[in-house]
Amino acid sequence: MNRRQFFTHSGVGLLGAGLISRAAAAALPEAASADSAATQIPVAPPNGRPFHPVITLNGWSLPWRMKNSVKEFHLIAEPVVREIAPGMVAHLWGYNGQSPGPTIEVVEGDRVRVFVTNKLPEPTTIHWHGQILPNGMDGVGGLTQPQIPPGKTYVYEFIARHAGTYMYHPHADEMVQMAMGMMGFWVTHPKDPNTMRVDRDFVFLTNAYDIEPGAYTPKVNTMLDFNLWTWNSRAFPGIDPLVCRLGDKVRIRMGNLTMTNHPIHLHGHRFVVAGTDGGWIAPAARWPEVTVDIAVGQMRAIEFTADNPGDWAFHCHKAHHTMNAMGHQVPTMIGVDQQKVAEKISRLIPGYMTMGSTGMSEMSQMQMPLPPNTLPMMTGEGPYGPIEMGGMFSVVKVRRDQKPGDYSDPGWYQQPPGTQAYEWLGELQPAPRAAAGRARPGDMEMRVKRNGHAH
Amino acid sequence: MLTATRTLLALSLPLAFAGCAQLQPDAGLGQVQQEMQTRLPAAALPALAWDKGSATAEQRRAQVQALLDEPLTADTAVRIALLNNGELQARFAELGLADADRVIASRLPNPALILARQVQGASVEIDRSFLFDLLSLFTLPARRDIATRRYQESQLATAAAVMALATETRKAWYDAVAAAQTSRYLTQVKEAADAAAELARNMANVGNMSRRDALQEQAFYAEAAAQREEAQAAETAARERLIRLMGLWGQQTAFQLPERLPDLPRHPEQRSEVEAIAMRDRLDVLMAKREIEGLAKSLGLTRATRYVNVLEVGYLNNSFNDQPRQTGAEVGLLLPLFDWGEARNARAEALYLQALARTRDLASRARSQAREAYVRYRTAYDLAEAYRKVIVPLRKQIGEENLLRYNGMLISVFELLSDSRAQILSVNAAIQAQRDYWKADADLQNALAGASPRFDALSLARPAQSASSH
Ligand SMILES: [Cu+2]
Repeated sequence: MNRRQFFTHSGVGLLGAGLISRAAAAALPEAASADSAATQIPVAPPNGRPFHPVITLNGWSLPWRMKNSVKEFHLIAEPVVREIAPGMVAHLWGYNGQSPGPTIEVVEGDRVRVFVTNKLPEPTTIHWHGQILPNGMDGVGGLTQPQIPPGKTYVYEFIARHAGTYMYHPHADEMVQMAMGMMGFWVTHPKDPNTMRVDRDFVFLTNAYDIEPGAYTPKVNTMLDFNLWTWNSRAFPGIDPLVCRLGDKVRIRMGNLTMTNHPIHLHGHRFVVAGTDGGWIAPAARWPEVTVDIAVGQMRAIEFTADNPGDWAFHCHKAHHTMNAMGHQVPTMIGVDQQKVAEKISRLIPGYMTMGSTGMSEMSQMQMPLPPNTLPMMTGEGPYGPIEMGGMFSVVKVRRDQKPGDYSDPGWYQQPPGTQAYEWLGELQPAPRAAAGRARPGDMEMRVKRNGHAH
Repeated sequence: MLTATRTLLALSLPLAFAGCAQLQPDAGLGQVQQEMQTRLPAAALPALAWDKGSATAEQRRAQVQALLDEPLTADTAVRIALLNNGELQARFAELGLADADRVIASRLPNPALILARQVQGASVEIDRSFLFDLLSLFTLPARRDIATRRYQESQLATAAAVMALATETRKAWYDAVAAAQTSRYLTQVKEAADAAAELARNMANVGNMSRRDALQEQAFYAEAAAQREEAQAAETAARERLIRLMGLWGQQTAFQLPERLPDLPRHPEQRSEVEAIAMRDRLDVLMAKREIEGLAKSLGLTRATRYVNVLEVGYLNNSFNDQPRQTGAEVGLLLPLFDWGEARNARAEALYLQALARTRDLASRARSQAREAYVRYRTAYDLAEAYRKVIVPLRKQIGEENLLRYNGMLISVFELLSDSRAQILSVNAAIQAQRDYWKADADLQNALAGASPRFDALSLARPAQSASSH
C-alpha cells in the first residue's frame, strides 16, 4: 500500500465534494493495496470523526475517502499470494492484495459506502458480520441481493450504528471463499474517542488452511483436518509479537472464521472478556480469565493491564493448533528400538534417519530438508533454545522502556537475576523411574473389583 | 496244378554309371553356413558341423568349454547352442539323408540277375533272368531333379532350424538374465518388508502398535518372502531352459551370466520396408519359391507367359488382361504363370495353381508376421524407454519427496518403506520391459530373415511360463 499516494488522490477526490452529479458519484474511490504481510501501524485519521486506530496483526487498515460526508471504501476481491511465514506462501483469495483483507475502521454513526469489485473467477458478496443494517445490505447472495458477478462492482451503503468489533466475509460460495482466505476485520469506534480508551488495540482473525506440504493452494473441501492454524493468515514464527509498554491498557479483539473453536490463552496476565461481536459487556458483568474460548463465528475482545514485564506466550491452547503441517497418522515411535532396523532401512533408502524414539523434540533441533513451501511442524528459535511451536502462537512483549505508540520488536526479555528457573547443582538423589515402554497389558496383574457397570 | 517257384538267387550287380552325383562334404552344411552369414552376427555363428565322429565331438566340447569360461553373452549362448544342441545335430543328419537320397536318385538302379526254379509236377525249370529297369532309365532325370530339389529345400529348412534355434536361445538368454535381476530386486523388496515387520514388532513390544497392525506388517513380509521364492524358482527355470537349448550338462552348467541386460540402442531400428525384406530374405518364402520352380519344371511347364505377384493370384481370373496391379509398395513375390493350352494339362494346371495358392498364403502370412513383429519391436522399445526415462525416474523423484515428508514427520517410516517397495517394483517392471524389447528384437530378426514362428523344424521345448512374476 502506498498511503501517502492514496491520501493525495483522496484529496483530489475531495475537490468534487458538494457536486452531486451521477458521474462524480460513479467515480470509484481508489483501492489501496498491500504487497506484504508486515504489520502496518496506522496513522491518526486524516478526516472524518477522530478515533484511535487499531493494530491489525500482520495487516493494515484500509484508507477511505470522504465524499459528501460519506466514508467511501473500495474493496477488491481477488486472488492473492500471502506469505504464511518466511519460507511459505499460499495462493489464496483475499482483498486488496492480501488475505485477510484490510481492516475497515469507522466511527459510530458514520455513513459508510463500500464499493466491492469482484476480480474473482466466480460471483461473490460481502456480508458485514454483526452489523445492524438494512436487510438489502446484509450481503447474503441470493437471499438479500444478487451475487456480484466477476468483473462487476457493487456498492454497499449503511450507517455504522453500534461501536464494536465486527468482521466481513463472503456469503456466496461461502465455504470455498472462506477456505481460500476471504475475510477481514471491521472496527466501529465509539463517537467519543475517550470512551473505553485503551493504549493498544490489537485485532486479528483466526483462520485455518489445509495446504498439502509442497503445495500452495488450500484444499477447500477439508472440513476439520487442517494443517495450518493461523492468525490473519500467518503462522508462528510469522506472527508479529504484540508489543506493549508496561502499564498500558491493552485490548485484543479476535474473531474466529475457522471450523473449530480456539481457547486463546495469555501467560502472565489476567484479562477480562470485555466484548463480543454482539456488543460491549457491562463492566460489572465482565469476568476474569486467562483463556478465552472463541467459538466458530464468534468474536471476543479481551482487556488487561500489561503490568507484568516479560515475554509472555500468547496462543491457542489446543496443542495441535500450535503446530505447523504435520502427519496426524504418523505412529508414535517413543521407546521403540530403531537402531538395528535402521541399518536395513538405510540400505534401501539412502538419507534415512530414525526419528521419534525419544519424542519429537529432535524435529526442531535438526535442520532436515523438507518439501518445498513447507514450514517445519515445530520451529522458532528463542534466546534459550528452540521454541518448538507453530501455528497460532505469538508473544505479548511487555517492556518498561517501550515508547508509547512504539510497536517495534524490543528483542528477547532479559530476566532480572534470580527470577529464572535454574538447574539444581546440589546432590541428586536417584529418582525411582519407570522403565520407558515396558508396561504392557497383561504384564501387570489387575485386581479391580467391579461393581455394576463400568463408567 | 501246382506251381512252385523258388527264387534261388537274386543278385544285384553294381553298375558303374558315368557322371553320377557325389555326396557333399559335411552333408552340404557349407550352403547353410553361407545362408546364415547374413542372418546372424559373426560372434553368434560358429562353423556349423555335423558331428560324425569322436574327433569332431572332442573338438566341439573344447570349443564350447572355451566359450563357457567367459560370462555368457547372448551371442556366445547362441554360438554354443549351434555347436552343441542335439536336436540341431539331428536336423543336420536329416540333411545328410537328403543328400544321400539325392545321390541315390541320380544313379540308375542296378541291373539284377535272378535265378528261379519252377517246379511243375515233376519237371523243374531253372529260370534265369537279367532284369534292367528301363523305365527308371527314362525317369532318371526327373527323379534326380526332384531329389536335388528336396535336398536344396532341406538345406533351407536346416537354415531355418538354425535360425529358429538361434532365436530361441537368444530369447532364453534374455529371460535368464532378467529373471536373475528380478530375483535380486525381489530380495530387496523382501528386505524392505522385513525392516517394516521388525519395526512393527518392536513397536508392538513397547505398546505403540496394535497386534493387528503388527500382524499386517508380518503378513506383508511373509508375502514378499514368498514372492522372492517364486522369483528364485523362475530364475532357475529360465536358466535351465537356456541350458537345455545349449545342450549343456554337468560341470558345463556352472556358467556365469552377466549382472544385467544390455542397454537399449540409442535409437530403435527404423524399418519401413519390413515386408519387402521378409519377401526377400525369409527362408520359408525361399523354400516355397524353390518348390514352385521345381514343380513347374517337373510338370514340363516351360513357356511362362508372364510373371505374377503371388499375392495377387486370387485376382488372376478377373484381371488376366489387365495391366499388372500396383500394390503401392514394391512388395511382392514374383512367380511365373504358364500358358496351360490344352485340356490335357488340366492336372498340371491344378497342381500348379494349388502350389501358387499355398505360396500366396505363406507370403501373406509372412508379410503380416513381419509387420506385427516390427510393431511389437517398436512398441517394446517405446515401453522400455518410457520405463527407463519416465516411470522409474518419476518413482525415484516421488521417493525423494517422500523422504522430505518423512523428515518433516509428515509421513511414517512405514509409508517410506512401502514407497521404497513400489520404487523397486518399478525398476523391476523396467527390467521386464527391457527384456521384452530384446526378445521382440530377436523375434523381429526371425520374422524378417528366418521363418514363421510356427515353423517347427526343431521340437524346441517351449517355456512353461515366462519369468515375469513379481
Ligand atoms: Cu485453536
